Amino acid sequence: MQHKESEGKFETGSGIPVKVAYTPDDVRDLDYERDLALPGVPPYTRGVYPTMYRGRLWTIRRYSGYGTPEETNELYRHEYREGQTGFSIAFDTPTNSGLDSDDPRVGADVGIGGVPVCSLDDMEILFEGLPIEKVATSVTGKAFSHVQQAMYFAMAEKRGLELKELRGTTQADILTALGCMNYIDQIAPRHAIRLLADLVEWSSEVAPRWHPVSFDTYNARENGVNAYQELAILMADAIAYIEEERKRGRIPLDQYIRGFSFNMGCHNDFLEEIAKFRAARRMWYRLVKDRYGIDDARCHLLRLHVQSSGITHTTQQPLNNLMRIAFQVLAAVLGGAQSVHANGYDEGLCLPTEQSMLLSIRTEQIVQHETNVINTADPLGGSYYIEWLTNELETRAWQYLKRIEEAGGLVEALESGWLQGEFRKAIIEHQRRLDTVEVKVVGVNCFEMEEEPYQVRLFRPNPRAAEIQTEKLQKLRRERDNQKVEEALRELREVTKQGENVMPAVMKGVRAYATMGEICNVWRDIYGTWSTPIGL
Amino acid sequence: MKVEGERKEVRVLMAKPGLDGHWRGAIVVTMALRNAGMEVIYVGNQTPQAIVEAAIQEDVDVVGLSILSSAHLKLIPEVTRRLHERGAKEIIVLAGGIIPREDVPLLKQAGVDEVFQPGSKLVSIVNYVKHRVIQKRSSSAI
Repeated sequence: MQHKESEGKFETGSGIPVKVAYTPDDVRDLDYERDLALPGVPPYTRGVYPTMYRGRLWTIRRYSGYGTPEETNELYRHEYREGQTGFSIAFDTPTNSGLDSDDPRVGADVGIGGVPVCSLDDMEILFEGLPIEKVATSVTGKAFSHVQQAMYFAMAEKRGLELKELRGTTQADILTALGCMNYIDQIAPRHAIRLLADLVEWSSEVAPRWHPVSFDTYNARENGVNAYQELAILMADAIAYIEEERKRGRIPLDQYIRGFSFNMGCHNDFLEEIAKFRAARRMWYRLVKDRYGIDDARCHLLRLHVQSSGITHTTQQPLNNLMRIAFQVLAAVLGGAQSVHANGYDEGLCLPTEQSMLLSIRTEQIVQHETNVINTADPLGGSYYIEWLTNELETRAWQYLKRIEEAGGLVEALESGWLQGEFRKAIIEHQRRLDTVEVKVVGVNCFEMEEEPYQVRLFRPNPRAAEIQTEKLQKLRRERDNQKVEEALRELREVTKQGENVMPAVMKGVRAYATMGEICNVWRDIYGTWSTPIGL
Repeated sequence: MKVEGERKEVRVLMAKPGLDGHWRGAIVVTMALRNAGMEVIYVGNQTPQAIVEAAIQEDVDVVGLSILSSAHLKLIPEVTRRLHERGAKEIIVLAGGIIPREDVPLLKQAGVDEVFQPGSKLVSIVNYVKHRVIQKRSSSAI
């Protein structure tokens, strides 16, 4: 009996053609010791740690925040009670832009996409009563992350905590803020990376257990690039930071790289995403060992946080997103992630409600405690398809990395608009595929419904957040020692101009209750403001 | 695209009110309108005041607002109000992004012509713009 294939192409999400079945022949050049090995052993394809989830479950960590620091403190307590095991601060857009809540342009945006943190005062309120010495926090800032980090460190110090013991992560990545979406009042990538590299350098000395940078391709991927482009961009991002330190030669490279961490999205081609995470680990090991000649094993580890992909979650029929998110969480775990954020099913409608927040946490708990996938590391290792696909993604990623390097490396590619152009092409091509139904999205271009079958409650942001923050800022500026603030800002200007590490001066400013906007204005004055070239 | 009897092409201002920087939707709509022969001026993130200023200066037929921040109920009515105050009520205001269905009637009351949900077919947006502009121009000619 003839078994015909149905019409249409069988490809991965990245457009890699897929055969009906894979055999040992497809992986005949695979050398177990060279290409796979055990978890926790180079090249780390199968996982960064020897015992993986048997030794330590991945962190359930939601990127969250809204309204005011007080409200978000409540939220974090709630999340922690329900079993979340790490925090991740979602700052609001004004804060992430390096602006204060009372800037006349930003009122409508205060507290609606995240939590405003204008000063050390806000950071103290945000973490009131939360066990940050036990639970690691991701300070998930953008191009001015180092200021947000300084506030976090200053808050910890005031509590009597030793920075040397503190665990957590700063995002501190230029890619998202300066290439993947538009933030106003930014500084050029080459200046932004200088300041953020200062954080990495300084933090490696004062807070050796802290990860002062997390290379984040989540938003690059949301801009339409595929899995192997995402891998290449991730490598290019880390390379840019390494090259920044090599230029200065201030600390040993292995000390600098040791704290690196990574953050990727998880899309809906289930098996390709798993292969992608495996390829990422192997690529990173090869890059650090072969290109940079570093033997320190701590530098070889691609410690990975994964977020389920927002762009795959639909506005239509929102409960469907629960399934999408569950599959993406599972893929992240089968791919060996150390930390996972599950979106809310209402991603296409609003910030998460309490209900969707709870379901995000429960999804991960179910995977952790009911599915038994944690029993063994890299359970898909050895699958002919997965090993073939891991190889294929790696090969294509190295090729695309060459193109990024031909475009001058990440910093140059952002300043010239080359990378944004790649995003534009990818976005337009994806739209074309949606329009022709080459790519199917249930509920959007197939199985559409006139009437929404699910009534979901919407989250509404606090309409008074801007007002509350403005009052607070006025009070702060009245009550603080403004002379101390001015001194600190003056010093900051000096060290910035002299090319010294800015972090001690930033810490001084933050401790004196200088605000985000005031500190960032020092750099805007020196460097001028920069707009990402979107090319429209 | 030239409207019959007129020399003017359809001119559209595409803007993102406030600070929400997600540009993906704005990109695809801008390209679709341009591919349909319209002139689209993309101004990115701007305050409502700056959007209205640009719309009037550029003498546009349509203002397209893309916003995903959930600040739409504050910022979009401010755009329509300012356009009205400046005597520019001929300009058609369209919106898209993350705007829940239950908010659409409020926006329409505030003067928004139509709101396009995520996943809207580009061809329907293009056709909508074409027909509304023709309608507006012929009704103003009467």
